[in-house]
Amino acid sequence: MLYKVLDKGVYRDFVKALISEYEFIGPKKKDKSEHDFVLIKDISELDTNYMRTTIPPAKKILFPPNEQLVAYELGENINVRSVVESSKKILFGINAWDINGMNFLDEFFTTDFIDENYISKRKKLIVIGMDSEPTETNFSPSIGAEYAKDGFDIYLTELKNRYFVRIATPKGNEILEKYTKVNDAIAEDFKEYNKYMDNYRMKFKMSVDIKSFYDDFESIYDNGDFWKKIAKDCYSCGSCNLVCPTCFCFNVKDDIELNLKNGKKIREWDSCMIPEYGLVAGGHNFRPDKENRLKKRYRCKLKTFIDKFGKYACVGCGRCIEACLAKINIAEDINLVKKEVSI
Amino acid sequence: MNKPKVGVFGFTGCGGCQLEILNLEDQLLDLVNAIEIVHFTELVTEYSDTYEIALVEGSITTKHGVERIKKIGNIAKTIVAIGACAVTGGLNCLKNLYGPEKAKELVYGDKKDWIDSIEVKPIDAYVKVDYYARGCPPNRFEIVDIIRSLIVGRKPEIPNYPVCIECKRNGNTCVFELGITCMGPVSRAGCNSRCPNSVSGCEACRGVIDDPNVNAHKDLLSEYGLTVEDIMEGFNLYNACKGKTIEKRDK
Repeated sequence: MLYKVLDKGVYRDFVKALISEYEFIGPKKKDKSEHDFVLIKDISELDTNYMRTTIPPAKKILFPPNEQLVAYELGENINVRSVVESSKKILFGINAWDINGMNFLDEFFTTDFIDENYISKRKKLIVIGMDSEPTETNFSPSIGAEYAKDGFDIYLTELKNRYFVRIATPKGNEILEKYTKVNDAIAEDFKEYNKYMDNYRMKFKMSVDIKSFYDDFESIYDNGDFWKKIAKDCYSCGSCNLVCPTCFCFNVKDDIELNLKNGKKIREWDSCMIPEYGLVAGGHNFRPDKENRLKKRYRCKLKTFIDKFGKYACVGCGRCIEACLAKINIAEDINLVKKEVSI
Repeated sequence: MNKPKVGVFGFTGCGGCQLEILNLEDQLLDLVNAIEIVHFTELVTEYSDTYEIALVEGSITTKHGVERIKKIGNIAKTIVAIGACAVTGGLNCLKNLYGPEKAKELVYGDKKDWIDSIEVKPIDAYVKVDYYARGCPPNRFEIVDIIRSLIVGRKPEIPNYPVCIECKRNGNTCVFELGITCMGPVSRAGCNSRCPNSVSGCEACRGVIDDPNVNAHKDLLSEYGLTVEDIMEGFNLYNACKGKTIEKRDK
């Protein structure tokens, strides 16, 4: 990691240069409640002072909601080819927990099986991170995701009259050298940065007691009444899955054209909260009840990947809490599990 | 691959579902290449009583309609209900809330006895329906999907999950967050979240999902100031013939 500072006076020109040189994806105000990461053509559209985004920016770009995987032609000679589309992009203004979410997807899509569609996009993505305001439901410090150690090329932290710049890759360094001027960070910069981070961490209102969850979860796993109560209002609507920066499940659909010659295979985001998720040929459903599905989701988020990757499949962003019309709150439920077990 | 004979029939409805097929523009030539259209109420004058697949629009509201749909049921090997009126009874079911006699009187006054009008029912009250292309209007691409699935001998994938899934895939801000109420969380997707995409609440034109959380939704809507009567009024727009069809599973 290299540590530099970027003067606020040259920040605008730096961003303008990147917008003109690259396919530049950044936060733009969408409506009174949210921002969305979209293609930015002019710096006036960019608004890095954001709080809410429905869909995590990295997931949207690297693992889009609908994506063609295969094109095929039927006939005497059956012709099948994979479709991998990617282009060089800058993802600008993504915050720490969403970078950590992307790091999880990076690991998921390259473990056991290399997902070409994901990784070809990831390789061409330049990531420039920036802190954003946490929502009231954000508990990422409890998970350790409010700070990004890696996954980005450059991370800009806004101090009084300058940006504290963390450079994690040679590519990041190259870009800074090419498009702007940075100076080495000195002791005073580090001091101000550390003070900033202390203040920033104070902004997170929600916290969870996650430490003992791994064991507590097993002792409450078969308590049907507990899960029935938690899932009582669940709509099984899947919103929690689709807005999650680490949810990776997808369904592959066949799309054959009416000429019955050409066709595509398309993947689309799936959800473990809908009844069809556990439905198999023959009509058996492994998870017909919503409380079972919710419980399994919690296990996947908070336990499964501790065993597999040594990390949570949750970055504490709170999107699932905000998206849930039934007000199911993973943070409260983590604390509730602990309370229930310690009775 | 054989070219199935297809009939497109209209019962009580606005005809818009048939127009959705004609709206396929880019795919229309491929469509008439893949199937042989032998009957199409809104398209051709010729008609035929020989067909394997019947696409049926509209709900059944007259005695004559009952006879016609039963005849179609005897001829067609596969029946596809297209559009809300055929699938759930649709808007026409609002008539049932008055009762057929009262409704006739309101509309036709002292000439009410001239009119053949019975209780409104979706077509599956009279014939076995194999597939449902839901919605008002139905998603024309879903109609195509059903047709090509029938040709290649595959089960069409018709969603039985709530609109929320499509809405999130489309990256929409939840309309509840913008102060608008929505039936999306209990309603069937397949429309590509058409109404929320335009910042407007879902009206459940595709009917409700198999296992809707009615109580949770009642609680939520009451937080937004709606009474049970308000909710039913909104719900009845497309689902007043509730009961069998609404609860029935897609095969």
